[in-house]
Amino acid sequence: MILVVLENQRGKIHPFSVESVVAGQKIAKSLNQPLSILCVGDNIDPIHESAKQFDCSELILASHPLLKTYSADGFSKIIVDLIKSYSPKYCIFGHSYMVRDYVPRVSANLSIPFISDITSINLSSQNIQFSKQVFNAKLSSRIENESTNGCLLSFQSAAFSADELIKGAPEKVTNFEVQLSDSDIRSTTEEEFQESSSGVDLSTAELIVSVGRGIDNQDNIPIAEELAKVLGAELASSRPVVDMGWLPPFRQIGSSGQTVSPKLYFALGISGAIQHVVGMKGSKNIIAINKDEEAPIFEIADYAVIGDLLEIAPLLTEELRKR
Amino acid sequence: MKIAVLTKAIPSYESLIRIDTSSKWIDDSIVNYVINESDAYALEEALKIRESLADNSEVVVVSMGPEDKCSKIIKDGLAKGADRAILIDSQEKISDPLSIATLISDCIKDEQFDLVFSGLQSDDLGSGQVGVLLGEKLKMSTATLAIETQIEPSAIRVKRELESGWFQWLTLPLPASISIQSGINNPRYPSLKGIMGARNKEVAKLNSNQFSNNKLQSMVELYIPSNEKQTKKIEGDSKSVVSRILEVLKNDLRIIQ
Amino acid sequence: MFTILEKILLITFLSSAISFFLYHLYLRLSIVFKGKGSFDFDNLISRLKRLFDEVILHKKVISKQRTIVGFLHLFVMYGFIFFGLITLNHFLIPFDIKLFSPSFKLNYFYFVGLPWAILCLIGILGLAYRRFFIKPKFLGEKSKTSAVVSLFIFLLMITYLYDELHLWNTLLQYKINWWLHSFVIGSFLFLIPKSKHMHLVLSPFNIFLKPFDNPNHAPVPIDLEASEEELDNLLLDLSRLSKNQALDIFTCVECGRCTEVCPANRGGGILNPKYHFILDLKKPMLENQDVNVVDKINVEAGWECTTCQACTEVCPVGNQVEKADEIRSFQVLSTGDVPQEYQKLLMNLQETGNTEGKNSSEILKELPEYTAEKEIVLWLGCFAKHAMDPNFIKSVRNFTKILESASISYGVLSNEQCSGDPANKLGDKLTFQLLMDQNVEALKGVKKVVSMCPHCVVNLQKEYQKYHEINYEVKHHTQMIAELLEDNRINITPGSLEKVTYHDPCNLSRTLNETEAPRKLLQASAPNFFELEEHGKDTLCCGAGGALWWKKDTGEGRTHLLRAEQVIQSKTDTVVTGCNFCYGMMNQGIGPLTPSNQEKIQVKDIADIVAENLSN
Repeated sequence: MILVVLENQRGKIHPFSVESVVAGQKIAKSLNQPLSILCVGDNIDPIHESAKQFDCSELILASHPLLKTYSADGFSKIIVDLIKSYSPKYCIFGHSYMVRDYVPRVSANLSIPFISDITSINLSSQNIQFSKQVFNAKLSSRIENESTNGCLLSFQSAAFSADELIKGAPEKVTNFEVQLSDSDIRSTTEEEFQESSSGVDLSTAELIVSVGRGIDNQDNIPIAEELAKVLGAELASSRPVVDMGWLPPFRQIGSSGQTVSPKLYFALGISGAIQHVVGMKGSKNIIAINKDEEAPIFEIADYAVIGDLLEIAPLLTEELRKR
Repeated sequence: MKIAVLTKAIPSYESLIRIDTSSKWIDDSIVNYVINESDAYALEEALKIRESLADNSEVVVVSMGPEDKCSKIIKDGLAKGADRAILIDSQEKISDPLSIATLISDCIKDEQFDLVFSGLQSDDLGSGQVGVLLGEKLKMSTATLAIETQIEPSAIRVKRELESGWFQWLTLPLPASISIQSGINNPRYPSLKGIMGARNKEVAKLNSNQFSNNKLQSMVELYIPSNEKQTKKIEGDSKSVVSRILEVLKNDLRIIQ
Repeated sequence: MFTILEKILLITFLSSAISFFLYHLYLRLSIVFKGKGSFDFDNLISRLKRLFDEVILHKKVISKQRTIVGFLHLFVMYGFIFFGLITLNHFLIPFDIKLFSPSFKLNYFYFVGLPWAILCLIGILGLAYRRFFIKPKFLGEKSKTSAVVSLFIFLLMITYLYDELHLWNTLLQYKINWWLHSFVIGSFLFLIPKSKHMHLVLSPFNIFLKPFDNPNHAPVPIDLEASEEELDNLLLDLSRLSKNQALDIFTCVECGRCTEVCPANRGGGILNPKYHFILDLKKPMLENQDVNVVDKINVEAGWECTTCQACTEVCPVGNQVEKADEIRSFQVLSTGDVPQEYQKLLMNLQETGNTEGKNSSEILKELPEYTAEKEIVLWLGCFAKHAMDPNFIKSVRNFTKILESASISYGVLSNEQCSGDPANKLGDKLTFQLLMDQNVEALKGVKKVVSMCPHCVVNLQKEYQKYHEINYEVKHHTQMIAELLEDNRINITPGSLEKVTYHDPCNLSRTLNETEAPRKLLQASAPNFFELEEHGKDTLCCGAGGALWWKKDTGEGRTHLLRAEQVIQSKTDTVVTGCNFCYGMMNQGIGPLTPSNQEKIQVKDIADIVAENLSN
């Protein structure tokens, strides 16, 4: 069977997990295998509720009070036990920070491979081929599983789109008895906290106006703010703008900031360096304005505007206000 | 305290990356090998911990790969202040992280390190797993994405970076394997004394020959990713550009009326 | 007239004042002599001429921007000089010794004493007004010593006039006046040594002894095979100043002109050369009674310096102000404390021999290779080799076009490594040495080298000589083209370009002393060119110097934009320059800074404007 593990992010299913369900559904179909989806954590009722909409053979519930706070020891033990129980051909995750932290433990414990951060799959080959980016995304590699004892997979954000999720209902729901004791968990984890005082979660924004270094000057930031306001969009930026102190850190998008996949990502004066792109390439539509026609952002943009954002953006804002 | 730092030699960011004739690796002849960026931060963190303990703690640089590429970064690590080094000579290009971790753990398990630091991920294949895999193999506690560490007598407190600006502190008992995030500190530059002193420091050379080829995942080929996106250009003077954008927002994206 | 008591009092007072003065002067000089290296006495005639120009003619004090102030100071200084004889005479009076005849004294009064007393009064009152009422920023905080000195000079002139104009009636009045005058002079001797007024004594010597090379930092030869002891000595040495530098610090008159012209300071940085490079070091030197004070230089300020030498150029008392080289070397070699963005640069240099970390160069492949039959080596430099500004490649081709039209055979060295300038300026003398040694080897047998990059020329010509015996001659391309023009090997007809201006690269105009060759060429190709306000040796650094090119995208501040702004404000259509870095900085700054109602200025190199106007 194929097993997909859902991650609990503060009471909701982590968006990456939802996308990994899509992967699971495709792989299960291709291999003609039943698909099981795992809800794991302490209070998993909210997750369970949402997961009931996924089309799959089985919904497995694994809860335990000791899973209330994350620990690599705890979570890896659960997954190890589950895999030993179910022997899935593939055990699938979204490539989140948590998965990076504990899934390798499962890999080493069971001596099964963990193919991580997958961007696409080729189901038509004899052995499924998984692609991932290498050498700073200058190249990609195709990887195959050589183990007969199962394989762990994690998918990069936006490798699959939640739009492709096959809705339905699980055929059955199973409770898995979790064997976990205090002595299994060696670490002591404290409460999660945020450093910047803001509740803005850009990852749920539908429309984003984002600025990069092309904004040139702190005094020009209002140009982007006004456009965002008139569009009803959230304001975001690339790292250099935050480093200069022109916008607060929570607005940063990229590998060291937030990951977003809005309906529209309006990139103003952003060059498109990979550290930024990994945070927004899942956007459904990208309009990029940049003076430099060689800017890498144009490779992933849907609409490329080669021009001066300091002229175009205010004009656009004005026109939008008139409507 | 004994601290190991895993450092990998990888192609520099400016190097030209071209797939070689076998399609399984890149053309090494046009590439410069340098220390992986997050490994440099890991080394600095280890050195800082040793300095804060001010006892006879040791920092040991561990590197696996072809000798000519690894010896450069080992020398650099020693010049920055590491006490000694272990070089695991391996000419083969191993892409399976579990094989790499198994090999390294076999080589260092007798050392009984209290801490193993590694960079978050390497800028070549970038699996980001070796530190944790090795930790599990050696039965250490593990943590990744550390952006701050605080050493205690038999434990280490680690601040982990989570998604979207969230953080979490956790305390791990020693021995522990931690992967370090770039930006945690300011890596030092080797001083002159360091550079000259490096020559006299011990570099233990081990051979990966006893390594059995037990690949559980294989890299079939490298390829250049194709760009499937159809980018539509919008050009002209500002007025016409703006009208075109308005059209897109209205008709194509249906974001405005 | 004077009682025995008075004479004894006078002798006691004067001898204690003089001893005090001499003792503190001795203290300071003994510290100076602990400094590294030695004073140079080469080129005596040039030194004397410079002394004459700067002291007697006051050429640096009376600069373009400070003409009035300069003259006011001139009056005061000459007042002092001319009053030498008068003071001597004054102190001989109680002992009834008359050195001069009454008629001499009368003539001296009318022709020297009176006019200069008045001028000196005007001078000191003007300067005091400026300092205490106008309060220019760079003079610093309210100075008590200056207030006292102003008062003193004022009193000296007044008491002199009071005496000579016979405004006294009784002997008592005369004596009060006389003693007041004497008291002031004696007090001066107490005041001078511990204040900035030491410049009175030291500046002529400092100006005379000033090295001709600018900058003039000591080489740091590193032997990797050296013993631990030798290495410790080398590192200890890094913390010590040279004799010239130590003398500079005691000579400093605290005018603040160095800070006023500093591009880093003007760009909003913290660097304040007056304090960071000079005055911060005075107290530690006196406390240690030694010159081991390099570690007292503010590190952050040291990294901001563009090493453009504007501070040294403007200093009226002969100081070589900049000490970025010293503090950076100290940080890099002793501590390994290097800003992250520079670490990448230095690693690139070590790994690939160029600043960009590249493995190949397009333009290098295009150009003919140097062989022993060719006349000159064309030294490209990293900027051109790796197209740090892609537009500059055109300029390189224009230069080769000029060489070819003069039938000069040239070639490039395939094993050209970075001249090492960024490493040298950053204080990484080890990486610098690595590159330099390789280049010296590659240049064996070469006689003539020409380069379009003044940074390369400075290193190949001046810096390498400090470590190796150099047998080649290096010219900057503007110098070479000017020679070709003079020898009639090329001809230039004036073009039709209106509104052209020239930006002097700091390395070319100040360090290489070359302001004429580019101007000859501009005169020939665009005779209507106009000067920017800060031009020639007073040029404002483009902001790329001192390896700051590699920090301009990550740093704060506007140092890298100042000159581009000035060029835009000059309303020129074209700006010509003679350095690839200046070229790159102009292009980078002009784009974003040009207001929307102004045309973007064209940036050209001298090679471009000459090639465009070559005629046969």
